[in-house]
Amino acid sequence: MNRLTGRWPAGQVALRATMVLAPVLALQAGALAGTPPRLWLTLLVAALGLAWTRLPDAAFGTVALGVVVLWWAAGPGRHAPGPALLLAAALLVAAHVAGLLAAYGPSTLGVDRGLLRLWVGRAALALLLAPVALGVTLLAAPGRGGPGVWMAGLAVAFLALSLAGAAFAADESEPR
Amino acid sequence: MTAWRTTGALGRALALAALGLAAGVLLGEPALVVLTAPFGVFAALGLLRRPTGRPVLRTRLDHVVLHEGQGTRSHLVVGDPAGIEQVTRVVGPVPYVALHPAGGALSRRVDPADPVLASVEVSPRRWGRRALGVETVAVTSAWAGYRAGPVTLVVDELEALPVRAPFDSRAEAPTPVGLVGAHRSRRLGDGTDLAAIRPFHPGDRLRRVNWRVSLRTGDLHVVTSRAEEDAGFLLLVDALADHGRSGGVDGAASSLDVTVRAAAALAEHHVRTGDRVGLRVLGGTGATLRPGAGRRHLRVLQSRLAHLHAEEPRHLTADKVQLGVPPGTVVVVLSPMLSELVGAVTGTLVRRGLPVLVVDTLPPGVPPLVGEGTDPAVAALAWRMRLLEREEVLARLAGTGCPVVAWRGPGTLDEVLRRLSRRGPQVRTR
Repeated sequence: MNRLTGRWPAGQVALRATMVLAPVLALQAGALAGTPPRLWLTLLVAALGLAWTRLPDAAFGTVALGVVVLWWAAGPGRHAPGPALLLAAALLVAAHVAGLLAAYGPSTLGVDRGLLRLWVGRAALALLLAPVALGVTLLAAPGRGGPGVWMAGLAVAFLALSLAGAAFAADESEPR
Repeated sequence: MTAWRTTGALGRALALAALGLAAGVLLGEPALVVLTAPFGVFAALGLLRRPTGRPVLRTRLDHVVLHEGQGTRSHLVVGDPAGIEQVTRVVGPVPYVALHPAGGALSRRVDPADPVLASVEVSPRRWGRRALGVETVAVTSAWAGYRAGPVTLVVDELEALPVRAPFDSRAEAPTPVGLVGAHRSRRLGDGTDLAAIRPFHPGDRLRRVNWRVSLRTGDLHVVTSRAEEDAGFLLLVDALADHGRSGGVDGAASSLDVTVRAAAALAEHHVRTGDRVGLRVLGGTGATLRPGAGRRHLRVLQSRLAHLHAEEPRHLTADKVQLGVPPGTVVVVLSPMLSELVGAVTGTLVRRGLPVLVVDTLPPGVPPLVGEGTDPAVAALAWRMRLLEREEVLARLAGTGCPVVAWRGPGTLDEVLRRLSRRGPQVRTR
């Protein structure tokens, strides 16, 4: 393992593996909705993910995640929004948090457990918004009829969870 | 002091949230909003928790003077920790300095009430001045929205004194010539060691009268004793070259390691017993320290030793070396005895009738210093010849009555100091 990863500690290897694999798996989750991604798209996202692991602060991550989001909007998300979409959202958030933790320092840096716990908690909190948004979508627009209604609902839910997150952030002044 | 800038993570979260909301509203695609809504949370909270002010970062060492092998902590301190959630600190590798965490790199969550952001344990593994060099530091605000740095900080310098090598000697100094001290002098005086019992002379103190002998002989007899005096030691340190590879305090020792540690141990022992100790370095820094006593003097001497480095000055010859050794001073030459200069200087001191002893500091089995492009076979042959010459120099010194001992810690000098004490005053020759 060390020969493959050079001087990277195990935590950094795990973070970088997440940065590459999570966007690819988010694409592959489209197969659960009946729309598997094209091979070239998978390879493109994997290549962007690999570039992202070398430069965690660069825009490769934004492009990789953006490609996945747009593909979902154009493909499986259009036909069958459901659990597969939530799975893709979770994988995208996981990739984002992994990239964020990897960008804290050089690749030789160990991953601090306190920071890892903090960000796993935050990611879980942020992810709560996805099922809420999905629920609003399904309830307000069963026939994909009034986009204004579900968009307003989503905006309200987004605002509410943002406020809740702000309150959570204000309370967590003590390190865990 | 450095400004806060947005992080790549905040940019990513903002871009994805904006993409989701804008495209979702424009295209009426719910999947976009579902996928990107969590990024809106990251972006909103990252922006909301923007810190005010600029962090002023500096480093602080708990101790700047240590003995090799000891450890201290280097703290990263910020003026106002408010708004800082995470710190990354990377201390560059420094030769002969052990760092904990390994590699000197750490990333941790910050206690918002503690101005000490991160501490790294530092331990010099070899004597000398250890510049901890530069380190790179970055701090991140809550929700990873903003980052200050990375900035480069210059860390303080650490002075690593030679290790307190165990050394003790019960032998007397050969020629104590001071005023008060712990060594028995050849001179009679107010000491405790019995010298003789002799008939009373006018001027003798009455408390010195030995009544038992006086009654037996019928004449007054007094007890005479040896004076107790301090001695002078000059440590002549050879820093012309460093042979062998130093592995630090726990590893193999080079010749300069043995020399410096032996000199420090001898100085500490003799200062502790009240002797005056001076220092003269041949080569390297060329440091000179006049004989002195006391803990402050010892500290200065250890510092001079810690600043040594191997260097052979050009145009330095034996006749140019002025040691200014006072009569009666014991000269301890600490050298691997591979330089003609040291051999010549030692020979001159012996001929002056000074008590001189040589501590051989060449570690056994030391490989030769091979320059780049040198044939190893030729270097090995030259090294063998050099060692043969060294044996000849040592034998010649021993022939003139100058004892040569290898450094082996406690008791190294006992036997030779006793022999020098028993020996009468040396004849001065030219």
